[in-house]
Amino acid sequence: MTLDMLSLLLISAPVGLIGALTGLGGASILIPIMVLCGVPVKEAIASGMVSVIATSSGSASAYVKEEIANVKIAMYLEMFTSVGAIIGATITTIIEPVYLYFFFALFLMTSFLKLKGRPEPGHFPAEVLSKISHWLDLKGSYFDEARNEVVPYIVHRPMLGGFGMMAAGLAAGMVGIGAGAFKVTVQENVLRMPPKVASATSNFIIGMTALAGTSVYLCSGLLNLTLVAPMAIGTTLGAIAGGRLLNRLDDRLLRGLFFSVVIVLIVQMLYKGVASW
Amino acid sequence: MIRHGAGSGEEKLEAIISYVLIVGVVTSLVLEAIGLFLFYHSYGILAISYNSRIILRANNFFDFLGRLFSPQFSGRSVRLMTVGTAILILTPYTRAVLSVIYFASRRNVKYLAVTLFVLVVLTASMLMR
Repeated sequence: MTLDMLSLLLISAPVGLIGALTGLGGASILIPIMVLCGVPVKEAIASGMVSVIATSSGSASAYVKEEIANVKIAMYLEMFTSVGAIIGATITTIIEPVYLYFFFALFLMTSFLKLKGRPEPGHFPAEVLSKISHWLDLKGSYFDEARNEVVPYIVHRPMLGGFGMMAAGLAAGMVGIGAGAFKVTVQENVLRMPPKVASATSNFIIGMTALAGTSVYLCSGLLNLTLVAPMAIGTTLGAIAGGRLLNRLDDRLLRGLFFSVVIVLIVQMLYKGVASW
Repeated sequence: MIRHGAGSGEEKLEAIISYVLIVGVVTSLVLEAIGLFLFYHSYGILAISYNSRIILRANNFFDFLGRLFSPQFSGRSVRLMTVGTAILILTPYTRAVLSVIYFASRRNVKYLAVTLFVLVVLTASMLMR
């Protein structure tokens, strides 16, 4: 199958929608599809990085306005993710493309971490802060519509969480995805942030991480306008529609969709890797 | 009605950032869409090209910005898509710059240092060859 800009745009929109519904992000799904259609893996990854800036900045705007994303915690964590993204993107420009198929499959597997048990809501008491959390005021609150109350929270283990976010940034920079599932897992399980705040803050951080990676790809001549433009437009429109649809769909359906998509993508990238070996 | 929590406690910064992000994304995507339309209108094809004219390449991001209006990006369609991509890349960078200015104006030394660190890392990545 050969892609042109129109077909890429038309594929990107539903993929952006599925990416938003599953929490994987459009680029994670679209890059393997592009590779399957014959787009060189490094150019697909670089274009994916630009579309990640568009989708994450678009959705983060609403989360910040509604005060769900915590900008102070995000800025602290960006110190780690931006460094990780530059290292990751630099590795991608150096290594043989065949390894990227396997790394992509490996990082997709980290998405399953999201499905592991998360702390129950309400287990985030505003108790004693760690020294760094106290010094940097790493705490906040948000209004939970489902619980109809304001939920306070504080950040635990900020250094450990910071290094976890650096690993997430490295993965994102290396394979051109947002690595949102990995970031949310670190924020929920290490930093002990409430799930909704973790998702919203992760979205906010992803744009900055992607920027750090994109700069590296620009210097390497991997940004192709005929891939970037349709991909950015399509995935962003799809993500907006997905965001509106998300609360109306059953959790079991979303979980089934997530499993199906991730498994197909992992098998496809592994197959491509083995075939190119 | 949306009820708010305290968020991070920096309501003014949150409002500025929210505005910058949405304006940046909408502007860039509109330019990209017009560029795509004009590309089809001019050349009658929508094939994915690997022509060097379509590939963005520069010594670094600031060099790329300087070349935006050079003959390398000839033709309205390619130029519009290039400017749209540049605005998209600049959107998170702009919010990093504004965050530094905000915390400097509030004399919040801790977050001035945090945001300055992020801005320096981003600027370094944009200056990398």
